[in-house]
Amino acid sequence: MSGANNDIVITGLAAISAGGVGIAQLRETLEQGKEMLTPVPTEILGEEGHLWGKAGSFRVGDFMPPLKARKFDRCSLFATIATGMAMQDAGLNMASLNPERVGIALGCGFGGVANSEEFLRGYFLKGADGLIPMLFPNTVPNAPASNASIEHGFKGPNVTQVQRFCSAESAFLMACRFIEEGRADIMFTGGADDLNAIMMQGFNSLGQLRSHAAGFGEGSGILVLERREHALRRGAMIRGKVGEIRTIGYLLPGKEPEGIARLKADTRPDIVSLSGAAADFPLLLEGTEDLPRLEVGRLVGRSLAMGGVAMVALFITLRAGKRALHLAASPEGPFFAIDFFGGPSVQS
Amino acid sequence: MVHNVISFHPERVLFRPGGVNLRACLCGVPMYASARLLDFLARTKNLSFPNWKPTIVFTRSFMRPSVVKGKIAITGLGIFAAAGKNRTSFTESLLTGKCAIGPVDLFDVSLFTGRIAAQVRDFDPLDYIDRRIAGHLMRADQFALIAAGEALEMSGVRGNYDPYDIGVSMGAGAAGMYHSELWLKGILRGEKSSPSLLRGFLPDHTATAIAGHFGLCGYQGSITTACSSSATAIGWGADLITTGRLKACLCGGTDALSLLTFAGFNSLKVVDTDPCSPFSLGRQGISLGEGAAFLVLEDEAHAQARNARIYGYIPGYAIAGEAHHMTAPEPTGQEAARVMRCALEAACISPDQVGWVNAHGTGTPLNDVVESRAMRLVFGDGVGSVPLVSTKAMTGHCLGAAGAIEIVATVIALNAGVIPQTLNFRGKDPECDLDYGHAGVRQSAAAIALSNSFAFGGNTTSVVIQGPATSDQRPRLFRDKNEWSK
Repeated sequence: MSGANNDIVITGLAAISAGGVGIAQLRETLEQGKEMLTPVPTEILGEEGHLWGKAGSFRVGDFMPPLKARKFDRCSLFATIATGMAMQDAGLNMASLNPERVGIALGCGFGGVANSEEFLRGYFLKGADGLIPMLFPNTVPNAPASNASIEHGFKGPNVTQVQRFCSAESAFLMACRFIEEGRADIMFTGGADDLNAIMMQGFNSLGQLRSHAAGFGEGSGILVLERREHALRRGAMIRGKVGEIRTIGYLLPGKEPEGIARLKADTRPDIVSLSGAAADFPLLLEGTEDLPRLEVGRLVGRSLAMGGVAMVALFITLRAGKRALHLAASPEGPFFAIDFFGGPSVQS
Repeated sequence: MVHNVISFHPERVLFRPGGVNLRACLCGVPMYASARLLDFLARTKNLSFPNWKPTIVFTRSFMRPSVVKGKIAITGLGIFAAAGKNRTSFTESLLTGKCAIGPVDLFDVSLFTGRIAAQVRDFDPLDYIDRRIAGHLMRADQFALIAAGEALEMSGVRGNYDPYDIGVSMGAGAAGMYHSELWLKGILRGEKSSPSLLRGFLPDHTATAIAGHFGLCGYQGSITTACSSSATAIGWGADLITTGRLKACLCGGTDALSLLTFAGFNSLKVVDTDPCSPFSLGRQGISLGEGAAFLVLEDEAHAQARNARIYGYIPGYAIAGEAHHMTAPEPTGQEAARVMRCALEAACISPDQVGWVNAHGTGTPLNDVVESRAMRLVFGDGVGSVPLVSTKAMTGHCLGAAGAIEIVATVIALNAGVIPQTLNFRGKDPECDLDYGHAGVRQSAAAIALSNSFAFGGNTTSVVIQGPATSDQRPRLFRDKNEWSK
């Protein structure tokens, strides 16, 4: 399954992660190749030896008053604040835009988990008297995208996707389609995820801290998409453009090569970005072994929707005129291969 | 005489000259200019194009024939819910107005005010699924596997396409929460909790399970926008075919009752103590439900080429954000009306073509009033002839599966030539002054219906559903009800 999106450009970026708050900090992390993963506190798991990518430098008070912040869960704070930063980076002012033409498509793996746990904890420990109604609205996975849309006034398409390690890429595909078919002029897309103690305990009990959940991270990576003509009309700085998006859902046993073939492009990229479990699929990486490789998850942690941060990181490093291939994969699917082009005026 | 352009779909422009629909697809011409050009031709040359039906569209951006623009046909339906554990029994409930809301014994509900729901009772997954497979699935996954299997079998789509041309587009809600709660409860009590309870914790687990089980390899995605999830998943599934990314897509949703949602809605005091009574006087809120429903979608031309039976179409959908409040709907109904209008525009359907609307219709005091206001804004003076019915009074509010269950119910009703009843009427509410179908199931010649799904976060979705194309195909259910079990 493939498709092209040649006239969709990226005009804004934002990232919150263990690599810092904002593009400048993430760039510094990438340039220095600094591993920002830290030990998971022993009191959480009862054992040592595990790392996670907590967004330790994120201080909500830097962005909104504490009283207002109380109505958000942590994942919603990541998404809402990163969206605001991306809006600023793209030079967008909602006052001059039709809100019905601005939308958000976000990947979110663990949004709502923190509130769900806290809400249920109250019930299990104190019965019906322990229920805190205020927690319930933000137990839904779409809370981050919806809170961001409410905060910033986006009335266009609003959707949240979760699909394993490709949640952000799944949302990215939808965002591109909404622009392509004219449902929106501007789409905010990417991903948001948070980490908390109960999740880590859950991963540990499943044995996943030694496998897929090892070095999980949190944060949000947001990209601003719009049509080239729309961006040019408002004088926006174009950071790059979206090429073909290829995806398959599942590798059929015995027919893996046919599936992988659908992810391959005709031309070779200059750089390869890996997200999720893409590095675990040699067949997927075949033919790119000699190319520069960006795997931001190793530095700031990966998660289901940290593909948003990975795509932002790619655009931070992608030079004008260069072609990039972003690969995202999950052990049981799906798989994504997205072509990107750096700079304002490259041709596919 | 023209006639306003009612579609803003960049690849299609709809006119209504003299009551004739014209779908125009213009290569590389900007949408608005295309509309203006055709508008000019229609006005000055008095042209009509009754047989003009283009199928190849050049996308505006690339000028290459990447999109086959046919109608998106429904060739399979599957459902597993409290109101019916297959198409036949669900159809019977729908046509006879049988409410599935009753006592809950899945978990202890004694501490809550609202203690009823549409629970799937007497459910043993091993009656449907191999033990080895069932053991790896959560309750919501099991529902989904059963309903998906029914839809796929009905359509016969597998084997007709390369597995990499068939995808899965799911809508999900609380999903594996029920089992995860058991794990959390054990942890909090210092007991040993089985990690396997967490296996299907995330809502994307079902799509992965279905893709693997049925070998559907083209796409795997899960929309998680609470109560609008599966309606959006169906719209998105149709879109994946429209764009040529897939040849067929299994679309739908699943959800299971959980303490989280049961306690959550109770804590917000929006659960009715009696079976929910949408649009009735004295309604107090929702009744929760659970289940799964799926459609198999294909491009009409492909479906016809393989002689598949077509049960209807998904001509368009729309999604939006209200940007108003996490739980309360925008009170004037303007935002709900906007998404309904956008869906009609995307489908190239005018409001006067809509026979009835399957409401979001939760039965909460505010939601029902707002949806009624939205109906007035969309249908204007004609609102009296467009019934707004809620099948949630039959199925309960199945959250992540609600949209899919309601769309399947709508397809069944369109095929049966009926408008379903809104059950549990308690009296006329002066603020809900439309036709809500409280009186009973009635026959209808309607060919088109709209299905609304509104969610936490202000996520709104509206899907247009069209019945079978030819009149001899409807109303078939009254001729042979058992046909649905074939």
